[in-house]
Amino acid sequence: MTPAAAASTETFPALLELNARIRGGRPAIREKDLGIWQTWTWKQVRDEVRVMASGFAALGLKRGDKLVIIGDNRPQLYWAMVAAQALGAVPVPVYQDAAANEMQFVLEHAEARFAVVEDQEQVDKLLEIKARCPRLEAIVYRDPRGLRHYTQPFLHSLAAVDAMGREHVKEHPEFYDEEAAKAKGGDTAIMLYTSGTTGQPKGVVLTFDNVIKMARMSVELEGLTDKDETLSYLPMAWVGDNMFSLGQTYAAGFCINCPESSATVMQDLREIGPTYFFAPPPIFQNILTQVMIRIEDASWIKRRLFHFFMKIARRVGSDILTKNPVPFSLRLLYWLGEVLVFGPLKNTLGFSRMRLVYTAGEAIGPDIFNFFRSIGVPMKQLYGQTEATVFVTVQPNDQVRLDTVGVPCPGVELKLDSNGEVLYRSAGVFKEYYKNPEATAETKTADGWVHTGDAGILDRDGHLKIIDRAKDVGRLRNGALFAPKYLENKLKFFPSIKEAVTFGAERDFATAMISINLDAVGSWAEKRNLPYSSYQELAAKPEVYELIKGNIEQVNRDIAQDRELAGSQIKRFVLLHKELDADDGELTRTRKVRRRFVADKYADIVAALYGGKASVHVEAKVSFEDGRTGMVKADLKIADAAVAEAQPARALAA
Amino acid sequence: MNEAHHRRIGDTVLKVDNISLRFGGVRAITGVSFDIKQGEIFSIIGPNGAGKTSMLNVINGFYHPQEGTITYKGTVRRRMRPHHAASTGIARTFQNVALFRGMTTLDNIMTGRLLKMHGPAVRIAYRMGTLGVLLRPLAAGIDFVADMAFWGPAQQEEIRHRAVVERIIDFLEIQAIRKTPVGRLPYGLQKRVELGRALAMEPDLLLLDEPMAGMNVEEKEDMSRFVLDVNDEFGTTIALIEHDMGVVMDISDRVVVLDYGRKIADGKPDDVRRNPDVIKAYLGEAH
Repeated sequence: MTPAAAASTETFPALLELNARIRGGRPAIREKDLGIWQTWTWKQVRDEVRVMASGFAALGLKRGDKLVIIGDNRPQLYWAMVAAQALGAVPVPVYQDAAANEMQFVLEHAEARFAVVEDQEQVDKLLEIKARCPRLEAIVYRDPRGLRHYTQPFLHSLAAVDAMGREHVKEHPEFYDEEAAKAKGGDTAIMLYTSGTTGQPKGVVLTFDNVIKMARMSVELEGLTDKDETLSYLPMAWVGDNMFSLGQTYAAGFCINCPESSATVMQDLREIGPTYFFAPPPIFQNILTQVMIRIEDASWIKRRLFHFFMKIARRVGSDILTKNPVPFSLRLLYWLGEVLVFGPLKNTLGFSRMRLVYTAGEAIGPDIFNFFRSIGVPMKQLYGQTEATVFVTVQPNDQVRLDTVGVPCPGVELKLDSNGEVLYRSAGVFKEYYKNPEATAETKTADGWVHTGDAGILDRDGHLKIIDRAKDVGRLRNGALFAPKYLENKLKFFPSIKEAVTFGAERDFATAMISINLDAVGSWAEKRNLPYSSYQELAAKPEVYELIKGNIEQVNRDIAQDRELAGSQIKRFVLLHKELDADDGELTRTRKVRRRFVADKYADIVAALYGGKASVHVEAKVSFEDGRTGMVKADLKIADAAVAEAQPARALAA
Repeated sequence: MNEAHHRRIGDTVLKVDNISLRFGGVRAITGVSFDIKQGEIFSIIGPNGAGKTSMLNVINGFYHPQEGTITYKGTVRRRMRPHHAASTGIARTFQNVALFRGMTTLDNIMTGRLLKMHGPAVRIAYRMGTLGVLLRPLAAGIDFVADMAFWGPAQQEEIRHRAVVERIIDFLEIQAIRKTPVGRLPYGLQKRVELGRALAMEPDLLLLDEPMAGMNVEEKEDMSRFVLDVNDEFGTTIALIEHDMGVVMDISDRVVVLDYGRKIADGKPDDVRRNPDVIKAYLGEAH
């Protein structure tokens, strides 16, 4: 046994020693290389890290230095993190698809002396900015392809560094253990730069205590063991990958698998069949789309089977997953469906062995969520932040819901301030933003509460619902909370609604401007023999108004369940004569509504919505795709929607 | 970027001397001479019908010229069979992709290794397999013999060849389509698979017949990158035919221009670009 292992298990190098000792022969990490899954055991990983750390030391890496890591998920890059930590240096993973000038900010701000990168692509980017990052002294690359003719003296192949490391180990056999033993739980483990939609990225400083305590908490909460397997395919610079592929792996001793390339992730998923998986909603959306396309191409009998059993799955699948009572006949049919349809389907996708599937990051569509749950994929949502070392809330297995993000994790305190902003305090709360005390003070209070910037509400069972960014949330004149994006998202989940813009802040009631979805409403109209010749004509049909009114009233009934939001039900709405369009400036290029712009442009309509008029005349300039502009005139009808009875407020369980 | 290093360009590896090729009364090539040096990227360009593909077919022995000689690795020859060209280290790709469409990427590239397979067991297995197809009634028994022959040395050899092929798959970044039948792939990827099969032969001289034909700009850039990388990593001499001048000029060390079967220019890309005959051949003449 080495002194480091004996001392403590509060740092990653120490946890590595522990894993090498108690499960040294078990797989720690795999990578598919040249078509074959290569495996390293915990003992081998320990030896690799030891050699790599000694190599870094020989190259001059010192305590307190920053070492940036850039590349796809590769074993050597994960080892480089722990090797740096063993020497008291701080790894700083950077998004591998960032452009050179974006990397420059991080390299300069973090004062990185070392860079460990995957391949020529990343080396080229660093060479481009090297002159502007004077502190950068050495670049180590893993993959020598294409780099043979690069003669810069500060470029080193990882193989060469490892060779130096082996020499170093021979000369100083005690060095690694002595250095690794110096690390303490309160030391900085890692720095992660948040992508920063506004302003410059901020470097979130996390300590060993942050990462390891949160990792242990979650491992215990979800019952992860060293028999679990996961696929490491999300960016290493993202806090989630750091938690799943380093924190939890080292805490529980399970094996992570690195895909062959970013293009093969879905095939690798199938080959590995992980038991534990994380993906943001768009990935599940993609998988679902692929499945539906394949089913439509499948033979008649397969298609019928699929649709028949999916109908049953949608009825009882989620209940069976949560172990709720289900009638025997349906249970039997579901079992048959499992044998004939769901089982083979899950096997094809690599979901057969899944027992913990997280999704997070944005609202997930009901069709996606229900599809995976109903075929028996135990998907659930969590809410987290880099500043929290991932975990704030998680859904308990028996309380998985579409519209909440769950209850606070063990050891996490949660509260909402007066304007609805979510605050939390936990062992995972970050130490600081690197070299940015003002931002740290703005985000973290003196007694350790962190402002998330997200507005949320707690439902009757203590589940958190994230409704919007806190700065976008307003109040009606009657004091009810008004969360425009929450309402708009709920509206947009209806296939007939393409875009929605809601108004209500500082008003007496909430209203909505809606663009219908021409495809969905068009085919709906055709089925009912409703003739129309244009978008404008279709949107003006009384039947379409009735259809949308139904959707809005459904949303009203939904939000009537929430005490805080019940007051902001939509009372009046208008169907716009055209789709909101980025060419007209109404949407951003990423299709987000520019609410203020729309309010100004359609000021007449907004006035009519609140003025009690039954219709409004608009003349609007539109841009055609070829750049020409024209005028559109229309009389738009304004309709009322029924408001649901608010649920009587019940006392909240604290 | 590709000028940053100095490739080692060596002696002449292939010398084409005064070649003329006729099909009946049609003169496809008339008195063309040039030489290709070890380690260079050499391009033959020209408008449609200039005789580019005919020239390539002469080099790899598919056509036999009526006049002239070809000296390859110091040996002078007039007539040669394509398989002889292949076994002496000449590999090629085709203008219209010529892959086994029903086979996977992996299997297609493996076929490039066939000439490198030596073990008697492999030959037995291979021939028995063929025999099995011919003698349907006895097929099961023969397949069994073939399967037995596959054990031991043959299996070892298969593993060795597979390792070479996997390195090529890695090199060309086509891991994601390893098990995909080639017929299902988009055209640009099929071209890349074809390059992979040619590389599997570990050629000394690689002949590429319009490797960028029918590609979009991005695919062309990718393919150019791979051609440069092959040349750089493996030191392979590359002779390529293109009629898109732009790409060729960027990646070639030397260019020969053919027009109506005659050589009208020969030199470095920049010289060729300024050559008035070349401009005339491509743009036509003002009358």
